[in-house]
This record gives sequence, C-alpha cells and structure tokens, in this order.
Amino acid sequence: MPAGPPEPGARRRLPGNLLAGAALVLVIAAAALVGPWVAPFPYDEFHIRDRLKAPDAVYWFGTDEYGRDVFSRVLAGSRISLFMGVAATAVSLFCGVALGLTAGFFRGRIDEWLMRLMDLLMSFPPVILGLLILAVTPPSLWKTVLAVGIVYIPAIVRVTRSVTLELAQEEFILAARARGENAGYILFREILPNAWPPIIVEASLRVTFAILLGAALSFLGMGAQPPSSDWGLMISEARSYLDQAWWMAVFPGLVMCLTVVGINLLGDGLREWLDPRLRHGGA
Amino acid sequence: MILYTLRRLALIVLLLWVMSVLLFAITQVLPGNVARMILGQFATADAIEAVETKLGLKDPLAVQYGRWFSNLIRGDFGQSLIMERPIGPLLSEALGRSAILACLSFVLVASAGILLGVIAAVRKNRPVDHAVSVFSYLGISVPEFFWGIVFILVFARFLGWLPSAGYSPLDEGLWSWFSRLIGPTLTLTFTLIAHISRLTRSSMLETLRSRYVLAARAKGLPERVILFRHALRNALLPTITVLAIDVGWLFGGIVVVETVFAFPGLGRLVAFAIERRDLPLIQATLLVITAIYCLANLAADLLYAALNPRIRYARRTS
Amino acid sequence: MASPPSPPLLEIEGLCVSYATAGGTLRALSGVSFRLQPGEALGLAGESGSGKSTVALALLGLLGPEAALSARRLRFGGRDLLSLSPEERRRLRGGAMAIVFQDPFTALNPSLPVGRQVAEPMVFHRGLAESEALAAAIGLLHQVGIPRPEVVARSYPHQLSGGMQQRALIATALAAEPELLILDEPTTALDVTIEAQILDLLESLRRSRRLSILFISHNLGVIHRLCDSVCILYAGEVCETGPTKAVFRDPAHPYTRGLLASLPRLALGSRKRLSPIPGTLPDLEKPPPGCLFHPRCPYGDKRCGEQSPLLSSPGPERSVRCWKAQEIRGVAWEEAAGGNGRPAARGDEPADQAVAPLVIVRDLRKRYRLGGFWDALVWEKPGGQGWPRPAWEPKFLRALDGVSLAIAAGEVLGLVGESGCGKTTLGRTILRLIDPDGGEIVIDGRAIARAPERELRPVRRAAQIVFQNPDSSLNPRKTVGEIIGRPLERFRIASGAGLRRRVGELLDMVRLAPSYASRYPHQLSGGEKQRVGIARALATSPRFLVCDEAVSALDVSVQAAVLNLLEDLRRELGLAFLFITHDLSVVAHLAHRVMVMYRGGICEEGTIAQVLRPPFHPYTEALLSAVPRIDGERARIRLREEGPAPEFAGRGCRFQGRCPRLLGEICRTVAPPVLEPLPGHRILCHHRLETLAAVASPIADEAPPPGA
Repeated sequence: MPAGPPEPGARRRLPGNLLAGAALVLVIAAAALVGPWVAPFPYDEFHIRDRLKAPDAVYWFGTDEYGRDVFSRVLAGSRISLFMGVAATAVSLFCGVALGLTAGFFRGRIDEWLMRLMDLLMSFPPVILGLLILAVTPPSLWKTVLAVGIVYIPAIVRVTRSVTLELAQEEFILAARARGENAGYILFREILPNAWPPIIVEASLRVTFAILLGAALSFLGMGAQPPSSDWGLMISEARSYLDQAWWMAVFPGLVMCLTVVGINLLGDGLREWLDPRLRHGGA
Repeated sequence: MILYTLRRLALIVLLLWVMSVLLFAITQVLPGNVARMILGQFATADAIEAVETKLGLKDPLAVQYGRWFSNLIRGDFGQSLIMERPIGPLLSEALGRSAILACLSFVLVASAGILLGVIAAVRKNRPVDHAVSVFSYLGISVPEFFWGIVFILVFARFLGWLPSAGYSPLDEGLWSWFSRLIGPTLTLTFTLIAHISRLTRSSMLETLRSRYVLAARAKGLPERVILFRHALRNALLPTITVLAIDVGWLFGGIVVVETVFAFPGLGRLVAFAIERRDLPLIQATLLVITAIYCLANLAADLLYAALNPRIRYARRTS
Repeated sequence: MASPPSPPLLEIEGLCVSYATAGGTLRALSGVSFRLQPGEALGLAGESGSGKSTVALALLGLLGPEAALSARRLRFGGRDLLSLSPEERRRLRGGAMAIVFQDPFTALNPSLPVGRQVAEPMVFHRGLAESEALAAAIGLLHQVGIPRPEVVARSYPHQLSGGMQQRALIATALAAEPELLILDEPTTALDVTIEAQILDLLESLRRSRRLSILFISHNLGVIHRLCDSVCILYAGEVCETGPTKAVFRDPAHPYTRGLLASLPRLALGSRKRLSPIPGTLPDLEKPPPGCLFHPRCPYGDKRCGEQSPLLSSPGPERSVRCWKAQEIRGVAWEEAAGGNGRPAARGDEPADQAVAPLVIVRDLRKRYRLGGFWDALVWEKPGGQGWPRPAWEPKFLRALDGVSLAIAAGEVLGLVGESGCGKTTLGRTILRLIDPDGGEIVIDGRAIARAPERELRPVRRAAQIVFQNPDSSLNPRKTVGEIIGRPLERFRIASGAGLRRRVGELLDMVRLAPSYASRYPHQLSGGEKQRVGIARALATSPRFLVCDEAVSALDVSVQAAVLNLLEDLRRELGLAFLFITHDLSVVAHLAHRVMVMYRGGICEEGTIAQVLRPPFHPYTEALLSAVPRIDGERARIRLREEGPAPEFAGRGCRFQGRCPRLLGEICRTVAPPVLEPLPGHRILCHHRLETLAAVASPIADEAPPPGA
C-alpha cells in the first residue's frame, strides 16, 4: 500500500462531467431567469395566421395549433420545469433530512415506525402515488410540486438515515457525548456537516427525477394546466398534431433532455468529487 | 425460509388492507362533493341526490367501507361509474394485456441491463464502456412519453414500418399483435435498461475492487472464472433489490406509455379512472397495482436471500 | 540457517515500483533486493507505508495497470518473472507461488462455500475434477486443523470464526502445493491466542511440506518467532537484512535500532522509558536527498543528507544500508536519541491504595439481546409431545457480568482481554456513554449509574475518553483548534483570546506546534491525530481518562511516543487512567494494576508484578504464553477455539469453554471462588492455589519477586 502521509493543501482536479454539467445547468437556469425578457414573443400570444408553421427565421422552433411561438413557450417552460424540480426536491429534502436524521440518530421505536411509514410510501409506484395525490382535487402546479416532493421523501430519508447511522458510530460523536453535548448540537454541528455530501448528490439526482415526474404528470393532464407552457403539457398537446407539426413535440422534449442530462452530469460529477474513496487518489 | 416467506406474505396482506383503508379514506374525505365532481359543475341538485343514493354515499362511513370491503373480499370490485360495467372483467382484460407488456419489458430490462452493465465494467474506460455510458445517460434523461413520441414519429410516421398505436388481439394475426407491442415495450424498457446497466456497472466495479477478487486473482484462476463465479454473483445482489423497485417504475411507465400508444391496458385504465374521477375504478386499479408491486418486492427479496448465503443461513449460526 | 549451496528460490534485485500521481511520481519501492533460499522463512518487516505489501503484489504480478514496475532481476525458481507472458504468470500464481492475505473475512468470497474456494486451485492448477478436488479440499481443511472439515467445507465464510477463516485461507494457498508461500500480515486481524495457533500451524506446515515462506508483518515478535532471516523495509527501501536472531540482538541500521527501542517489552524489571523514532515517514512523492531515513536519524551527519548510502556487511550473511553502520556500533539508540534509558516512573511510586479511590465501580451489569423480536421466538412441544407452541425466549449477551473495580488518582489500571470480551463496553459504561442495567459507578464522589444526563455535567468534565481510531475520532469538518476548543466553550472554561491561548497550551502539552490549530484532521498523520484526541480529552482538565485501545492503531515508533506522552501527563497532572488494550506488552509497560477480562467478567486482577507471575489464572497464563516476543520463548499453552456463538449461560466458570486445565463438572456448574494469594491479587478459579502457582512463568522474570 503506497500510502504516504496526506499532503496538506493538495487539491483534486474537478471532474470534467461536473464542469460540463454545471455549464449546461447554468445556461438553462439563466434562460429560465431572463426568459421573459429575451423571448421573441409572449409565450401565450396567439398568431392565428401562423398556425402550425414549421421552424423558420421568425419562429425558431415553429408554432403550435394557435400560432404560439414554440421557442418562447419552451423558454417559459424552463421556468416551470426548473421550479418544479427544485421546489419539489426542496420539499423532499426538507422533510427527508429531518426525518432521516431523527430516525438514524434516535434509533429505537421512532426509527422503526418512520421506516415502516416510508416502506408504505415506497410501496406505491411513484407515478401512481403522484396521480393518487392529484386525482382527488383539481390539479394545479403547486399541488404537483407537493405531490412530487412527497413521492421522493423516502429516498432522501433512506440516504440521510444511513449516513447518520454510520456517522453516529464514529468516535467523534462518542467524544461529543462524553462532553454531554445535547442532541441538537450533535445532529446539526457534528453529524449534518459530514452528512451533506451524499445527501446533496442524492438531491441533485432527485431534481431530474422530479422534473421528469412532474412532466409526466403534466403529460397525463394532472399537473400544469393550459395555457401554461410546461414541457410535459406541450408534448401532450402536440400529440394530436404529430402528423402536421413534429416540432411541437420534439423541441420541448429535446430541451427537457438537455436539462436532465446537465443535472445528471452535475450530480455524477459531484459524486465523483465528493466520494471519499476517490478523495485521496492513490492506487 | 418458509417462515420468512409466510411472515412477508402476512405483511403484504396487512399492507393491502392498510391500502384499502387509505384508498377508501382518500376518496371519501375529499374536499367538495363527490357526486358533483362526477357530474360536473352544472349538475342539478336532483341529479346529485340520485347519484349519492346510488353510491350509498349517505350511509355512515364505516358502513360504506364495510360494504365495499366485503365485496372486495368476494372479488367484486363494484361497478365503474363512467363505463357502467362491472370492474372485475374490465380489470382482468386490461391486466392481461398489460401483463404481456410488463413481462416482456421486465425480461428485456433484466437481461439487457445486466449484460450491458457487466460489459461496461469489464471493459472499463474502453470505447464499449463509453458507449454504454452515453446510452444510459440518454436513457435516464429522456422521459418515456417523449421517447414514445419520437418512436411514433420515426417508425410510424416517417418510416411507416410499424403501426403507430393501439392494440390488436392475437387471433387477428401474430405480426399485427406483436408489431403493436414493439413500440410500448422498447419505450418502456429504455429508461430502465439504462438504470440497471449503470447500477450493475458500478456494483460490478466495486466487487472487482474487493479483497476476495484479489484473492481469487492470486489463486491464478482464469479471468472468466473470476468474473462469473466470484464477481458477478456478488455484484448482482444490489441489482436485484433495485430491479424490484424498478417494477414500480415499470407501472408508472406503463401508465404513461399506454397513454402515448393508446394501448388499452391497466395503465390506460388507471389514467382513465383518475381523469374521469371514477372512484370505484380508481380504488380497484390502485389496489391491484399495489398488490402486484408488493409481490414483486417479495419475489426480489426471496431471490436475494437465495443468492446471499449470509441471509439464507443467518439462523443456523445463532 | 546454514548457508545452503542450492540456488535461491527467489531472487529480487533492484525492484522499483512507482505510481504516477497528480503531484508527480510516487516511489512505492525503490531498489528492493533480497533472496530467499528453498526451505527458508524470510520475514519482511516494516511499518505502514514501507511498501511491504507492494513487494508481495509485485511478485504475484497483481499490481494493476497504474503501477510502473522495473527490476534488474526478478527470478523465481530459476525463471525470469519479467519475461513471462500474463498467462504464464497466472499459472504461477496460486500454483508454485501462493499468498494468504491479512483480513480473512474480506479475502473469502461471501457467497461461495468454503470447500469450493479451497478446491479451486486444485481444479485449475492440478487439473483435478471438481469432485476429486472437493474431497482433497476436505483433507486439506483437516490438515490445517479444522475440526469437522466435511461440515466446514459446506459452510459459508460468515459461519466461521476469524481463526477458522484464516485456516481455510491457508488451506487454499496450500491447495496447489506451492513452493513459495507468501503471508501478508496473516495474523494481524486475529486475537493473540488465535494468532499463536496460526503461527504453530505455519511452523508445522513449513516443516512437513518443506515450504519456503515470505512472511510480511509489522510485528517484530511474530517475525522473530517464525523466520530464519529478516529484511527490514523503510519507505520502500531495504535498510537491513540478515539472520533474525543476529539482527534483533545486534541491529546495525539506526531504523532497526529505533524500532526495537520503541517496542514495549513484556518482561518484568526491564522497563525503561521507550525511545521513539522522531518525525514521520518521508513523502514518497518528494523523497529527501541522501539516505531516506536521515531526517529522523539521531546518528546522521552531513553526508547522510547528500548521498544515498551503499550496502555494507556488518556480519556473516548480513547487509545494511547506512554510511555510519561501523561507527555507531556500540552507541545505543537511547543514548543517541537522548532518551538516556530513564526508567519508567511506575516502579518507584506505587499508587497509594490507602487514599479513597477516584473511580469506584461495583457489580456493573449490561446485557444485550441477541437478534430481533422474531429470533427470540422458539417453537417447543410442552412435555416433548403434542403440537409445538410458540414461546418467546430471547438470548442475551452478557457484555458486563458484575464487574467491580477501583482506580486511585495517579494510577493506571490496565484492562486486557480479547476482542468481544466487553472491555470497550466497560469503559464506555463507566462514562455513561452506555447506560448500565445494574450496579454502581462513583466518580469523584458522585454516584452516576442512574443519574439523568443533566446531573452528569460535573462528571463529564472530570472524566474523559481517548479513542482507538485516529481517523474516526476527529470530526473531519472541523479544525484542530475548533476540536480542542469546543470542550472549553461547552464547559465555559475559556472564550475568545483566552480560548485560543488555552488551545495553544493544550497543543503544547501533547507536543504539537501551535500552528496545528488551523489544520484539518486529514492534514495530520495518525500519531498527530491521536495527540489531538488526547488534547481534546485534556481540555476540561479531567481527573480520570479512559483510554480505549488508544495506541493500538499506531505504528510502534509512533505508539512509543504516545505512550511516553501519556506517562508524562499522568505524572504531571495526577490523572487516573483506565487503559483498555488487547496488547499485554503495552499494559506491562504502562499500568500499575491489571485486570484480565474474559466474556464480560474479570478472571484475574492484581498489580502488574502479581499478574505477570505465577500463580496465574489459566487464561492469563495462556495469554502470556501466546504473546510473540523478541526476547526469548517459554513453554506455550494453546487454547481451543470456540464456535462463533458461545453459549455461556451464566453457570459455572466463564472460561470453561476454552480452559486447558478444566477440572470437570464443577467448572461447568459452580461459579469459581476468589483466590487471593497476595493482598490485592485475585484469581477466580476452582484450582487450588498451589496448583496454579506451580507453573513456570512464560515470561522472563528479571525482577526479584515481591517480599523476597
């Protein structure tokens, strides 16, 4: 084992996929931010004369059945999708981390019950669970966010719990307990700072799941409602015009793929970068 | 082992019962009036009254649940509100069609996913590995509904090789039947193959780094023995667990894919039920899906135990 | 071993292995040379990072593609290994050249039956059919001393104990009848009594099969025990080779001398302050010019820092890589290093038993339920007939089964025992990191066994703990300053500038520079981390420290420095210690009194001089005789190994399952009485004192017996 003493200040190179992913995500996030100001047309403006026009110099991605500019709609859709992904992940992150820390640190009966509850949640297929939550009330965007967020709580709980269980065995936690530190200090000052890396990686991948699930729900008519320009909804609407206007489905789909690829690259890059096994290089 | 299986089965029964209560509760404790939701905003008071009486909505909740549940036990799922047909036959017909789709997809996912993952791990950092990883990136990044639409565009609209959608019974010809399965199956599997191959690759790589594989190398065993006897068996354990979870994905996928390809299966039925707020149908379909999902998980756990001596023989040591 | 005329079995000359890293090239091995004669056992010794395992992997051709290997000569059995094709190398591996790895549990495939794993080399190297090989494997398992080999062959690795797993691995290595057996730290993961059995096995196998052995270990005692000659590695270089006895009696290289001077000895009366090697291993990416050891060498001069030393021969069959090997003969390491052999303080100031003890523990109990709810469910037929009925009968592990002890201020109580005996549970329960099921704990006059956490505050301040694993005991996200400062904050001892000053003082106390306060744990070496852990424990100015295997994870040279530090702190601060360890030599070096623990209970206790001399508890006797040492050997007592799930149900003597001096039924049914040969010396055994006293001491006794 050729292991010398670790050198102080040795910096590891950022992995390429992290950089590529970050660049892609930045571009799309920027588009989402400034979209309304740079879009050539308002996303919901009808151009009745230009219905179902193929892509050209004016309408870069063509127009839909009402003559709305697909490019402007895709741009506006990036806001909805990113919001949905991030907000839903925030919901599952908030609940998941809290529950995971509790279960992993206190163990015992709380842990037992929480995990059974999570098993129950997990025993629904995600789309079905989302549908069930949305089925009984009129759909709206924030409900989709909430539904998607709830669907992915168990995943975050599991990751958080397993890191917490592992960290709780570490001797520095015992040292804190030997000082009589309270649970709050141990959880938030000793455990959480060390638990973040895997949770962040998991969350970054969950963002893509959330975007895809949100789009799927919108596609099924259970998410964003017309005339909103959600990507899933746009593809759903385009289905009736596949013969005449392929661009109505293809462009929103492509942009969605790019977004998801970007976030996945970012997440994988983060994983590589933060993985302790790869941290010290070596053989 | 038998005890374990029985215990798990008991748990599943319990879970299904909890589900039935939950489903019942969710559909009962709705905000707003159920009958009005069914009939729409402009229904007359009389019509609402009629529907409520028909559904027994005026009885106490416990009575309603008891009635529904005892019917359920006897295999009577009730009547679909919208289609006004008994749910049982509807369900079994749809289930049969979806089962073909699901089984076909599952076999494809398990075999192709594992194969690709193993190849990528063994040829790490070679062109094959890169190709597989690009493929799987696409797979996990492209949502099924978009992939399905691209499939229809390319193979049905532009090339005209395959029918774009629908279902044709087997007695109308083998090709006609099969050609309408290709699209949904491929669409359904693409994401999951990507998922499984990524997972298999990483767990295979981990196993190949393990001490016992080094020990097997030190024994001078041929590479194929090291790969198949020593590494693969252990590397498959996490894959099996995830395969079971992916059955859940498969159901989700089925809902979407059947919608895209207008395939009259269970997924389409669920989507329809939810879209039209057909309560008995929602309850019945979701219950069936949960049951299948639980059984898939059980099967995975049993397979896991069968492959993992640490679980199989846990009892003997204590 | 007389020099044999036959050509060497293994010849290595100028073996270099390097890895390309982000910062340049890491030289794992630079010019390693040695020879191994047929039938010889050669020990390859060195601390972690010396490159010993790399040598083994290089020989087997298992280094992996990222390693760059070169050698002037790498010959095995007359064949040039470097010119062989990968396929030929593979045939050699596990055939003529087999290896046993360190950690038996990870080296066995968890999902294959043991028998098949043992049989594999026979199938692939000797062309046996699967069934023949399996039968032969059972024979081999029998030969390596595994009882009921047919059953074991069908078992999976997790069903075997550590010792049995290691035997199975040895059987695997022997399966293809190798000429050379490479053993890479084969006993490091095992308890000392099991280690002794494995060494016995290796010795007998070596004789019966005329095996050549390359034995890799950090443990000089084990090498002394088994090897004819030894090769000392430092930072990827050979610094000294020669016959084991000669090298250990008269080490020529400063590093060898330093290692030997750092080693705590089990022998009584030879206790001196240890003389550690200062500094740390050089950075192998930027090795120092000249002799690799010179930055740490007390003998070094200008030339050592400029030119790499050449090999010279200080005696027959010996060679040493040092410019000053001739000059420094007769200049002891201690003299050169300035440790001047000051005796350890313990002997001259026995702890005062008259003073009220600082820590008192009475009849402490803790048990754990084994398995979950369902595991406790058994089906039994009432009266042996009719339908079986369920009954809930949980099994318990008695981690602490009525332990009592007392520690005075300024006293070191050593607690020894093998893994799983409950010693860590005891240390943690005394500090209320684990809640006891019963018994009393009094620290500094406060009864704390059942006190709620908020009442423990003063005790938390007065009693602290130092942990085993330097990598896990410091929070990686905090600086050293934050880590040491937190107890000061928590107990409102200091804040602001006062806190920073105090952190500096504490760092000074553990011999670290004040600049360390701004470093993160991953920037420290193992020994430095352990010092930070000690500083953190000292921050509250405690009166009692529990040291749980506090030096076990450290290399000997570093361990010696930490042991010295602990001894100094005890003297300066008057600390009481509960020193938990599996290493008898460390206890013998540091402790005033010792307790020997077995399965949740104490079987012998007394002052160090009492416990290291007869009469012994049979377990103590076996432990002492099992310790491999570099200073002579005595009669050995070997213990049977028990199955993985012991069934001591609380009746009779807890050592009954392994006792070599079992009297009979009484040991199984009646709890042993307490024998007290001398005041304070207690032995729990059914034997009569005279019987226990009439054994030869397994260790060298250089001090006059007390009262003589």
